[in-house]
Amino acid sequence: MNAISQEFAPPFKLIAPFFILGSLFYLLSTLLLFAFDASDLFYTDSHVISFVHIFLLGFVMMTIFGAMAQLVPVVLEVGHFAVELFYAIWPLLLTGTLLMAGGFILSPKLLPYGGLIVLISLMIFVGETLLTIKRVKEFTVVMSSVLIANTFLFFGIIFGLVMALGYAGQMSVDIYSLLRAHAYLVIGGYVSITIMGLSVILLPMFGLSHGFSLTSLYCALYMMSFAVIFVVIASLFDLDFLLYIGCVLSILSQMIYFYQVYTIYKTRVRKENDIYAKSLIFAYLSLVGALFLESLFILMSYEPFLISGAWLLFFGFFGFMITGHIYKIIPFLVWFERFSPLVGKEKVPMLADMLPKRSSEAQFLFSSIGVFLVAFALLSQNNIALSAGASFLVVGALAFVRSVLYMINFKK
Amino acid sequence: MAMYSKEELFLAISTVIDPEVGFNLVEMGLIYDAVSDDEGSVKVTMTLSTKACPMHQMIQQWVKEAVEKMANIKEVEVEVVWEPVWNITMADEHVKNALGVS
Repeated sequence: MNAISQEFAPPFKLIAPFFILGSLFYLLSTLLLFAFDASDLFYTDSHVISFVHIFLLGFVMMTIFGAMAQLVPVVLEVGHFAVELFYAIWPLLLTGTLLMAGGFILSPKLLPYGGLIVLISLMIFVGETLLTIKRVKEFTVVMSSVLIANTFLFFGIIFGLVMALGYAGQMSVDIYSLLRAHAYLVIGGYVSITIMGLSVILLPMFGLSHGFSLTSLYCALYMMSFAVIFVVIASLFDLDFLLYIGCVLSILSQMIYFYQVYTIYKTRVRKENDIYAKSLIFAYLSLVGALFLESLFILMSYEPFLISGAWLLFFGFFGFMITGHIYKIIPFLVWFERFSPLVGKEKVPMLADMLPKRSSEAQFLFSSIGVFLVAFALLSQNNIALSAGASFLVVGALAFVRSVLYMINFKK
Repeated sequence: MAMYSKEELFLAISTVIDPEVGFNLVEMGLIYDAVSDDEGSVKVTMTLSTKACPMHQMIQQWVKEAVEKMANIKEVEVEVVWEPVWNITMADEHVKNALGVS
């Protein structure tokens, strides 16, 4: 029987820094967009790599790790091995991310230091999660997804550190072949598989969906896992055909996952289009856009398709997936800590009462327009559209930071 | 001879509200049964809308406390079951309407 006892729920002061820092990194990543030159952008540009690390490590990973402190017991149905370790994760991840992002733009000498600190931070997270998984008696598909994702993350960060040493000139490695393996292990192997697994728990929970099959999730997970393995092997041994199969498999996996989400959406009974629902609908539409552009890239090898598709995947799909869930997770955690002891003694707010309506709507509006404009700018290599999109995104990110602080400080 | 009827027990439990959806557990159809004996022992059989509910034990505790507030209640057992699986047809009409279920 699933039973998430109160002692499994970590104290909010442990998780709050992850969400505050995550939102600030989200804002910082929007500011970095002004350094891009849309007419001459390539994926190994130092500004692009710096932006990707600020966004993925500072925002995506930081927020996912904070959320996992709460969600791991929910998904695995056991308590954390040592939840206190999360107190060490965010300062290390913060320091390492800033050093790495700075290293790409200012001085490559910073990269090994940043990379090592990030490595330690992620290893603590992976180690804690794997030791928690060890307590699980019976595995479900979602629990397996957590195990697979963390295994890929483990190898992804090893590749990342080797690359950081290569960038700094302290090790002779073929950075470009490692880059593919690193990107697939972290983005496909960890972020995508984590989202796949958690979403089949969270989407039905918030949408009250029942009676859907998980067959598509099984297919999507297997395919993404093989895709990641194929791309890693192909990158190490320079096997173009295997690389092609891996890339196609990863796109097919995401398409099947999208179908899984559609079945959950169709069986939901909560039809209200609140900020959570709107954010997720935008996220999944962005995923479809990203898959379309990535497919075009595979067929035509035109790099703006790759960059624009990656943009939609990052800021459209990952970004809105995370911001949408923040509007559910933070109110729950604050309510759990601040108001649940008052239930039955005095009137307590509902979770929906804790949402900042105007700033959350502003965040959605400005960020969604910004994502669309930047995708168009990257595709058409248009700097004016890029600056316009970045401006919308900065306003959206400011509204997001405001929303996060409002929810964290919510009092009756 | 039961100390309280099922309706009286359901009325007491209806003070427990799910903070996520904003409806009480009885109108959500989450309370399957409640029986009491003449010595003040009560057994509540309930479910949750999802097995992954992070408030699982807290909601159980609220149900227990809501029944314990009734006069002469000595012992309350709350059992959470997963069969039959909850679905929206078990909820009251006004809940379905509010959620937009046709």
